[in-house]
Amino acid sequence: MSLKKITSEAKLLLIGIPVLLWTLFPLYHMVLFAISPRDTATSGRLWPEHPTLQNFEIVFKKQHFYLDHFWSQLGNSFFIAITVGALTLLVATTSAFAISRLKVRGGQTVMNLALFTYFIPAAFLAVPMYKTMGLYGLLNNQWALILAMVTIASPYCIWVLKQASDKLPFELDEAARIDGATALQLFWMVYLPLMVPSLVAVGTYALLLAWNEYLYAFLLLSNDLDVTLAVALGNFLSADDSPWELLMATGLVYALPPAAIYYTFKRYMVSGLTAGAVKS
Amino acid sequence: MASVSFNNVQKTYGNKVKVIHGITFDIQDGEFVVLVGPSGCGKSTLLRMLAGLEDISGGEISIDKTVINELESKDRDIAMVFQSYALYPHMTVRENMAFSLRLRKADAKTTQDRVAHAADILSLNPLLERYPRELSGGQRQRVAMGRAIVRDPKVFLFDEPLSNLDAKLRVAMRAEIKALHQRLKTTTVYVTHDQIEAMTMADRIVVMHDGIVEQIGTPLELFDRPGNLFVAQFIGSPSMNVFKGTVNNGSVSGLGAQWPMPPDASHVASGTVVHYGIRPGDLELASSGIAAKVVVVEPTGAETELLLQIGDQKFTLVMHGRTQVRPDDTVFLQFDAAKAHVFDGTTEQRL
Repeated sequence: MSLKKITSEAKLLLIGIPVLLWTLFPLYHMVLFAISPRDTATSGRLWPEHPTLQNFEIVFKKQHFYLDHFWSQLGNSFFIAITVGALTLLVATTSAFAISRLKVRGGQTVMNLALFTYFIPAAFLAVPMYKTMGLYGLLNNQWALILAMVTIASPYCIWVLKQASDKLPFELDEAARIDGATALQLFWMVYLPLMVPSLVAVGTYALLLAWNEYLYAFLLLSNDLDVTLAVALGNFLSADDSPWELLMATGLVYALPPAAIYYTFKRYMVSGLTAGAVKS
Repeated sequence: MASVSFNNVQKTYGNKVKVIHGITFDIQDGEFVVLVGPSGCGKSTLLRMLAGLEDISGGEISIDKTVINELESKDRDIAMVFQSYALYPHMTVRENMAFSLRLRKADAKTTQDRVAHAADILSLNPLLERYPRELSGGQRQRVAMGRAIVRDPKVFLFDEPLSNLDAKLRVAMRAEIKALHQRLKTTTVYVTHDQIEAMTMADRIVVMHDGIVEQIGTPLELFDRPGNLFVAQFIGSPSMNVFKGTVNNGSVSGLGAQWPMPPDASHVASGTVVHYGIRPGDLELASSGIAAKVVVVEPTGAETELLLQIGDQKFTLVMHGRTQVRPDDTVFLQFDAAKAHVFDGTTEQRL
């Protein structure tokens, strides 16, 4: 290895190691708390004297009043995230297809508007969204959260899918049209199969966005049986002596599905989300 | 099988940009017609209008005497082979070829038979279960043709199908497409910018330039009697030697020499300014005649190409066999006056 290569590697490590520690430290903290027996979590030790899985047992058996609805709240999180992922995919795929392949009128305007929504932080829209859902009579209904999340996730997903669609050669559509395909057949038989990597990436993005959402879930849902686990985790902090070890154990459980999803689809995530990032 | 006719066909983009200015010609049933011209001449646009991929701004296109202007591509009974092949990447060769039948809900037996028949013709049988990414360029092109054959359309359309292939493969595929046409006898419209492809494959060639038809004819008609200067220089390789001269008592003076008038242009009056052309293959070295200086000698084995200088004009001469002449030698040229071409100095039309 040449000296030049060593110095450039060293520079990378110099940045990489602090970033890695920075990222891992909260995770370490979470794991440490989760496996510490009650009241020893804050003892200041780097590793608990008697590591235990008892906290998980308490969580899974709902043996604490904060955890009374653990399983239904986890179920809510799954239901909402998966529904948001699926609906966003439906909206974004059909829009991207119409704009990129069918070249519908006004498509470019839609794209500009989609980009424009990113000037407005989602938090700004929380109150208007609350009001809107109130008008629709959807407050305290999980569909309020689902619709809000689809609204927030869609513009980015449309944008990414449109860019990815543009890369498919247009001759494929022409060949299919000559072969006798209608627009719908073109969509199902040619477009969708070729878009799979981007669809997985975008679907996962929307799913994880909804899974991780706190603010909107907190605002739009209030019934303990309806809220997502993210909101339930927040409620742990409503008392003075929060059961930190249970909070962290639940948090760890909550963090596993996204990790699993990301790990499964990482191949698509990287290629899918960068597709269309640069014009090539 | 079918005839195709173009009747004053026009194409305008927006309100201003006119790319095709009224084209009229007929294609006979079973004919192989090549549209040829430099890039931007409108040949691909014309083909895409016939295919239904571009709107027709004016005039009419008919297949078998039925005007197809308003018909969808799929209802025109045509099949098209694209330059980029346009194979569906997620389907095997078999699925690619069967796709149009699947859309038409053909039964399994028909599909099987048609695909097998096309695969036989194109020797694609060993490749049927492969995906396009596992094929070479030539194989992909054959699959694209297979997809067209399976349709058994009235008209085959080819849009520069060989441009993505290397030179050697191009020659082989050229022969394959021509053999295919001789076997199936389906009316074919073929677009290319390569005049050699046009010459070797076509029953008739349509030479296009700037959105108009310059000349229509069999390859040898275009070669022997080009209707204007553009066709004269576009058809034939190396291209025709042309210079400007003045008619002077039955010959043309130019480049400091007297050039004999071809018999069919003997009526041109003295003093007319003309473009005088002679093909490289029609020039011969002789012991006397028009003097020229040798610039470059290019032996290619069977033939030798000489780059010559006459006055301030470069000339090309192609001769059979080999030669002892060297750069800077002076040689003398002779040729049969009947082989020369004379075009009007301003209109550039054949005289």
